[in-house]
Amino acid sequence: MSTLPVKTLLLGVPSKGRLMENAHAFFGRAGMSLVQPRGGRDYRGTISELPGVEVAYLSAAEITNNLAQGTIHLGVTGEDLVREMIADADQRVLLIDGLGFGQANVVVAVPQAWIDVRTMHDLDDVATAFHAKHDRRMRVATKYVNLTRTFFARHGIADYRIVESLGATEGAPATGAAELIVDITTSGATLAANGLKVIDDGIMLRSQANLVASLAAYWGDDERAAARALLDRVAAERRARTMREVRTRFKAADAELVAEASGRFGVLAPLGGPTSSGMLTLLCPPESVHGLAIFLREAGAETVMVASPEFVFANENSLYDALVARLNRKG
Amino acid sequence: MTGASDLRARNGRANGLVDLYERAGYLRVEPPVLQPADAFFELSGEELAHRLFLTENAAGEELCLRPDLTIPVCLAHIANGGAAPAGYCYLGPVFRDQGGGSGEYLQAGIESLGRVDRAAADAECVALALESAKHYGCAAPTIRMGDVSLFSALIAALNLPPVWQRRLLKDFNRTGTLEADLSTLKSGPSAGLEQAGVLAALQGSDPAAARAFVTDLLSIAGISTVGGRTVAEIAERFLEQASLGATSGLAPETSAVLERYLDIEGDPDEALAALRALAAEAKLDLEATLETFEQRTGFIAAGGVDVRSIRFASAFGRPLDYYTGMVFELHDTGGRVKWPIAAGGRYDQLLTVLGASEPVPAVGFAAWISELEQAGGVA
Repeated sequence: MSTLPVKTLLLGVPSKGRLMENAHAFFGRAGMSLVQPRGGRDYRGTISELPGVEVAYLSAAEITNNLAQGTIHLGVTGEDLVREMIADADQRVLLIDGLGFGQANVVVAVPQAWIDVRTMHDLDDVATAFHAKHDRRMRVATKYVNLTRTFFARHGIADYRIVESLGATEGAPATGAAELIVDITTSGATLAANGLKVIDDGIMLRSQANLVASLAAYWGDDERAAARALLDRVAAERRARTMREVRTRFKAADAELVAEASGRFGVLAPLGGPTSSGMLTLLCPPESVHGLAIFLREAGAETVMVASPEFVFANENSLYDALVARLNRKG
Repeated sequence: MTGASDLRARNGRANGLVDLYERAGYLRVEPPVLQPADAFFELSGEELAHRLFLTENAAGEELCLRPDLTIPVCLAHIANGGAAPAGYCYLGPVFRDQGGGSGEYLQAGIESLGRVDRAAADAECVALALESAKHYGCAAPTIRMGDVSLFSALIAALNLPPVWQRRLLKDFNRTGTLEADLSTLKSGPSAGLEQAGVLAALQGSDPAAARAFVTDLLSIAGISTVGGRTVAEIAERFLEQASLGATSGLAPETSAVLERYLDIEGDPDEALAALRALAAEAKLDLEATLETFEQRTGFIAAGGVDVRSIRFASAFGRPLDYYTGMVFELHDTGGRVKWPIAAGGRYDQLLTVLGASEPVPAVGFAAWISELEQAGGVA
C-alpha cells in the first residue's frame, strides 16, 4: 500500500519517555533541531534545518505500524517492535542504522528454582514432560508473540502455548498466570527481583533504537531528496561519533607510514596523505587512539593532538545509497 | 468472477459429496463458525495458533473462526452426552490466516467417534476419502500413509531412558527433526559442567533422597518460591539426567534399528513384511501393533481399494500432535495441486483431552473442496 504523493518526507519520532529524549538528543547531535511549533503537546513538528521534512510524534508501536503501512517514510523505533509487529519485516522496511540508545534484550526467562534448566534444550525436554504429566501445555507469558513462536520453533519446542501479556509480564510466573516468560530486559534486575533467570542461550534478540525506512511509502523525488539530506547528517554524526580526529606534524611522516597506521589501527586519512611539511590529519576509532599516538611518536612526532569532530561529512552517503538500492530492487 | 451457473454447479458437487457421506451413515452437522479459542490453542500448538482469526465477545472470552471442523464436531459430541458411537459429516468454510488470500477454505469431511473396531473404522475412513476424490473426477490420487502408534511401540520396546523416549516421540510427532536427535543420541549426552556435580551426587539416589537434595540446593541458593513445577518434578528430572549420565549414548545396534525403521517404505504389505523382519532380528515385541496394522490393510483391501497403490512410510507423520495411529494424505498424482486434497487419521486421545469422561476411539478426515476441484480438473 502506498500513500499519495505528498512532497514531504514524514519522520516518525517517539512522543514520550526516554526514547523521545534520546531521539531528540540524537537528531540534535546530527545537527537537526526538532521543533514543535505549538509546544510539547503538539503531535506534528518540523526540523528547522530541513524544510522538506515533517515530524509526526507517535508511540513507538504506532511508528512501527505506520512504517509497515507506508504512511510515514522514516521513523525511530526499536528493532524488537519491528521484528515482532511486522510480518516479513525485511520485505517491508529497511533498518537503516542502530542509533546507539534504547539497548535491551528480548530473553526467555524461567523461575530461578528450575535449577535443572539452563539451556533451550533443557526447556524443550521440560516442556514435553510437563505436557505429558499435566495434560496441558506449559504457558509462556509475553507480548512478543511472533518472536517467541519463531524462536521456539527454531529450537524445536512444540509443547507450549503463549499467553499474551500486556504489562508486568515478569509477574506472571509468581501469580500462576504462566510458567515462564519472554520479555525485554536491560540489566536483568527486574527479572531477578521476580525470582526469574535468563536461559543461557535464550537471548532472542539484542535490540536497540533504529532509524527505519518504510519500503511501502511513496518515494518520489522530493521525498528522496529530503531523505538524502537527513541521512547525510545522520551519516556525518555517525562517522563523527565513531572516529577521533588525530593531528600531528613531523618530517618523517609519509605515505608508507599512513599505510602502516591504516593496517594496524584502522585509521583513515580523509584529507589525503601528509603534506610536504609532514602535516597529517587522520580519523581513528576511539579504542585505537592511544596505540596510534604511541606509534606516531615512535616514528618521530613531537605532539599528537586528538579531538572529537562534531561532524564528518563525506561525499559517500552509504546510508542513503543503501536505501535507494533497496527501493530500486523493490521495483 | 464466477457466474451463477458455475456457482450452482460448484455447490451441487459439494453437496453431492456430503450426500455420499450421509448415505454411508454419517449424520450431517453444522457446528458454529465462532468457537472458543482455548481448545485450538491448547490442542493445535503455537505453530498453528498464529493462523487463527481471533475475536472476543462482550464478556471478554476469546473466540476464533473455526480453523477446522474436527475439534468443533468433537466438542458438540461431548456436549450431547457423547456416549454412543456416532459418525458425523460436514461441509462448510474453515478459516486460516495464511498471510494472504481470503483466509476462507471450504472443507468437507467425516469424524467417526466411538467405534471400537478400529481397523475397520480406519479402512472406512480411507475408502471414503478416496470416494471423495473420485466424486470430483480424481480417480487415482497418490495415497501417503503412516502410523504414529508404530513409532511409539518401537520406542517403548527399545527400552530407552525416559528422557530420550520423550524427545524422540515429540520430534517424530511434531517437529520432524529426528535426524539431529539420532546423531546427538549416538554421541552421548552432555550435561553442563555446573550440573555435572549435582548429577554425580544424585546417581543411584531414590526419589525421596533426590527431593531432599533439591530442596537443600534451593534453600542454599536462597530461592524460596518455586513457580510452575514442583520440587518433585525438578528432582525427578535430575534423576533421569543422572541415570542418563551413566549410559554413554545410544548403543550402535539400537540406533541402527531406529534408522532402519525410519527407512521402511513401500505398500502396506511390503512395509509389514519389513517391519516384522526388523522386529524379529532386533528381538522386539511389536506384534500387537503389527497385527492391527495387518487387519487394517485387510479391511482397506476388502473395501475395494487397491492396497498396492498406497505408499506407506514409517517416517510419515502429519503436523498435528493429536494423532495416535494411522495417518494419511491424498495428493494429486499429477502434482498440479500443492496441498493435500484430503487428509486425516486416528486421534484416540483427543476427546478425553476435550473433556469426555471416557476414552473415545476416533478417526476422521477432511477434504478441501478447491483442491479437489483442481485435482479433478473441474475448477
